[in-house]
Amino acid sequence: MDRADAVTSRRQAPRNRLQAPGPELRPTAPTTGTVACPRCKRRFVAERYAADLNVCSECGHHGVVGAAQRIEQLADPNTAETLAVEVGDRDPLGFDDGVPYPQRVARARERTGLHEAFLTARASLAGNPVMLACMDFEFLGGSLGSGAGEIFARACEMAVAERRALVAVCTSGGARMQEGIASLAQMARCSAGVAEVIDARLPYVTILGDPCFGGVTASFAVQSDVIIAEPGARIGFAGGRVIEQATHDKLPDGFQTAEFLLAHGMVDAVVERGRLRDAVGTLIRIYSGRA
Amino acid sequence: MSTTIETTERERIAFAAVELARHPERPRALQVIAAITSGWTELRGDRLFGDDRAVVGGPARLGGRSVMVIGQEKGTDPMTRALHNFGMPHPEGYRKAVRLMRQAEKFSMPVLCLVDTPAAHAGIGAEERGQAWAIADALLCMLGLRTPTVSVVLSEGGSGGALALALADRVLALENAVYTVAPPETCAAILYRDAGQRARAAAALRPGVDTANRIGLVDELIPEPPPGAHAHAPLVIAAIRGAVIRHLDELRDIPIDELVAERRSRYRAAGG
Ligand SMILES: [Zn+2]
Repeated sequence: MDRADAVTSRRQAPRNRLQAPGPELRPTAPTTGTVACPRCKRRFVAERYAADLNVCSECGHHGVVGAAQRIEQLADPNTAETLAVEVGDRDPLGFDDGVPYPQRVARARERTGLHEAFLTARASLAGNPVMLACMDFEFLGGSLGSGAGEIFARACEMAVAERRALVAVCTSGGARMQEGIASLAQMARCSAGVAEVIDARLPYVTILGDPCFGGVTASFAVQSDVIIAEPGARIGFAGGRVIEQATHDKLPDGFQTAEFLLAHGMVDAVVERGRLRDAVGTLIRIYSGRA
Repeated sequence: MSTTIETTERERIAFAAVELARHPERPRALQVIAAITSGWTELRGDRLFGDDRAVVGGPARLGGRSVMVIGQEKGTDPMTRALHNFGMPHPEGYRKAVRLMRQAEKFSMPVLCLVDTPAAHAGIGAEERGQAWAIADALLCMLGLRTPTVSVVLSEGGSGGALALALADRVLALENAVYTVAPPETCAAILYRDAGQRARAAAALRPGVDTANRIGLVDELIPEPPPGAHAHAPLVIAAIRGAVIRHLDELRDIPIDELVAERRSRYRAAGG
């Protein structure tokens, strides 16, 4: 995968915002370096690329966006208050494949400045009170470990307690293999969280970014009232490569892309990143019975 | 680090356990249904696209009550294994299961799910028709279903494909069954980029149902006389029947609001 350049740009972005609630979440844009679009290879000044929400102004490619940056992009200015949810160290299997699993988590924390693959915030979105739950693909591939599941479930409960709409940005490779069956259980835990939001009749909107697979897609990512996919995002249960190897079938053109899923009736809309806040805001306003 | 020899031995034992769970003569869903229920009437089709033979289901009588019984069937010989797609459901299987669960709710019948799948089917059609969507729906359905539910993991509980039929009030598992996030071959491909290291993955991932029991996805293990259920099918099936009826009796006495709330909070906490 040729995501290396976009990743570089993310690493230049400000980090360690986890404990900083509210206004400090606003970006101090990276000031050095250039970024190449992973698709057309056009180079941009990092600052410009970030200002364009990591979307290539040349070819429209939607690059990877970290969880903190997602919150900045979706929340109204100076309204996001990140929730510092501590979930501790979890290692249900005592997993060690040369590097002990807790060490992998520690490294991911250091590298991303995040506590887990989910970052949550209460915020205003186009004037609507919302709970934002954003996944970060850079944190162990956005994999759904028990810590990430716990953070999402708490976001659901807080949305209910504070009568906020829930907006989740999903991007994940799937299960966190190092947690084995405990990772599988997160599909149940997150679904239980969503069930509370459904019972409370609060709007729940999901935004599916590239990539979104496995147990994340097969649970909270598609249990929403409205499923929005970003252009070109690859979304599915089993990965295309796995399917090709298992079945020796030739994959159809555009298989598992956002546009393919729209044509197959699996998502409500494909929305460009720059229009997400407006699109989601309008929906929530309508569901909430406001003009 | 342990020595190579110890590691190899540990891995050999771990994978032998997986192979035991995959023994072709272990009791299959249709066999269990035939033995423990009467009047089971198979209902077919998801009313949307087709009928998935990896999932079978229909109403029956069991221990003096009417029950909706849904099972994942792997097949018992080359022909039936192909017919049932080796127990790997397509989206239609999950949608049929949801249809039958809703029907059970309507008639105040408890639901019994027999879980036995290596994983949900990975294929073009399954993706086009929303495999993830079908599983996600089944999870929500089971979490909110207003009738008692019992699931039994017979042999393999693999991935979300198994979980979709296993968010029950009581989850039982045969002692030698495995319950995993993905088959060891898949885990090895992801973790070590080499599906051949499946024994290593099996050792690392502790696929036995005791692990699922420890993290809250399984409540009770049904013992199997050595060397395992494949050698004692009638005994083990009788034990399944006894355990299921005992749990259905207990669940019948719990007010439904309480039952659903307990189920919800139990899965809210699952996985530590
Ligand atoms: Zn480009």
